[in-house]
Amino acid sequence: MKPKLSEAEFEFMVKQSGLPLSPEQKTTLYDAYWMLEAMIERVNTPMPREIEPAHMFTAEVR
Amino acid sequence: MDPVFTIAEAAKLIAAKQLSPVELTKGCIARMKAHDDTLHAFILPTEERALADARAAEARVMAGSAIGPLDGIPIGHKDIYNTAGIRTTGHSRLLEDNVPAQDATTVRKWAEAGTVLMGKLSTHEFAMGGPSFDLPWPPARNPWNPEHFTSGSSSGTGAAVASGMILGGTGSDTGGSIRGPAALCGIAGIKPTYGLVSRAGVLPLSFSMDHAGPMAWTVEDCALLLQAMAGYDAADPASADRPVADFVSDIGKGVKGMRIGVVRHFFETDNPVSPATLVGINHALEVFEHLGAAISEVKLSPMVEYHACGSIILTSEAYAVHEPWLKTRFNDYGELFRDRLALGGFIRATDYVQAMRRRRTLCEELKTAMAGCDILVSASQATEAPKITEVPKWGTMEKPSLTIPFNLTGYPAMSVCTGLGAGGLPVSMQLVARPFAEATLFQVGHAYEMAAGTRKRRPTMALAEAAG
Repeated sequence: MKPKLSEAEFEFMVKQSGLPLSPEQKTTLYDAYWMLEAMIERVNTPMPREIEPAHMFTAEVR
Repeated sequence: MDPVFTIAEAAKLIAAKQLSPVELTKGCIARMKAHDDTLHAFILPTEERALADARAAEARVMAGSAIGPLDGIPIGHKDIYNTAGIRTTGHSRLLEDNVPAQDATTVRKWAEAGTVLMGKLSTHEFAMGGPSFDLPWPPARNPWNPEHFTSGSSSGTGAAVASGMILGGTGSDTGGSIRGPAALCGIAGIKPTYGLVSRAGVLPLSFSMDHAGPMAWTVEDCALLLQAMAGYDAADPASADRPVADFVSDIGKGVKGMRIGVVRHFFETDNPVSPATLVGINHALEVFEHLGAAISEVKLSPMVEYHACGSIILTSEAYAVHEPWLKTRFNDYGELFRDRLALGGFIRATDYVQAMRRRRTLCEELKTAMAGCDILVSASQATEAPKITEVPKWGTMEKPSLTIPFNLTGYPAMSVCTGLGAGGLPVSMQLVARPFAEATLFQVGHAYEMAAGTRKRRPTMALAEAAG
């Protein structure tokens, strides 16, 4: 699988991150990026606007 | 042949003055010397400390002032648990010479319970990157077949317990790092409720997903170990300020009247398990039904939803922990850790927040599903252990994890061995309880172990005559 993100867009993200990646390391991460991309898409599917982040789950009393 | 005791067995014999903690410890040391060149479970054995601890325990027993069931029991700590004056590396070149000044809270608690410290145990680098062959220490190997993987990241603890080098040990679990090695090494391991066990002094990976917990040969031993590590600790911001339950006294009461839910789609369609794993789970359900439990099926969101949410949170938080070193010492990390974690640099703040919002909805879903159940059953690993040289670099991203849903939600979850698969390696199931209902997990897990008799068979290596 290939990422939807272009290599140029990926290169921009690498620069923004400040990670000192070699060309080989960039290729490795670009080739794997589609898996992260799918997860990011999944967590960004629309939710009702009132849902707040989970800071902690609610503990039940046994 | 030197017998390998469980903690419960050893504790009874020690209390009756029929087993010497010093002799018990020497047996573990002999097994370590015979097999650790093959298994690499230890990063740093502490033989002198172990013998000193054992002699002190023996003196207490002989004086009639034994502390409790862990007095004189040989244990080890995953090498992300700080140990005062003893090197703690995270299995990483970056902490190769790190000697903490203080014990982790849990290390101190086990020492106060009289345990015998056998040493520091292998992990995947910083509890995430492994199995790696480019670190200062080799990865741990599986005692059932050293050509095979232990899973991780509490890999050394899994190998050392299964091979009888220690009777119990610490693990940490951010996405399955206690339950994975417990499953592949054929032992028991529990990730307790988030907040039950202090993480103070344990190297962090992901603040809201990290859990500390015990691993041992049996469920009962895990209960004894957890009893000595649980409890509020002001030094851990996530610590739950509530009384600690009695984890031991319900063991042996059986499962009659319990309501057991099966999340069948997790392990049949979302991440299909091997035939032997499926047989083991179905057999366990028959055992529970025979013992008087009511079985029903439970449906949750597809596991990939939990997996995506957990992975985004874990990777973002771990990246935040390691970012300064990733920017300045990237190539000092092993390849697996640095490549897996570098992806965290490409997650936006809004993605993390959306994952945290979705986390709340998944927590609510699980809470609703568990309203009608005392226990959920799923799988803890999909298959038997693969060869250690054939573990895919991106394996944790390619298929949804069977364990991460309960890191995401904070619910207590335990891996219990269900026998051996076609390759002669362990298979397992996962039991999940409501928050802070660890006692129920132990009650159910122990009932299964007793009925199924799965704890009778050890790896041949554990039973072999120690060399020399």
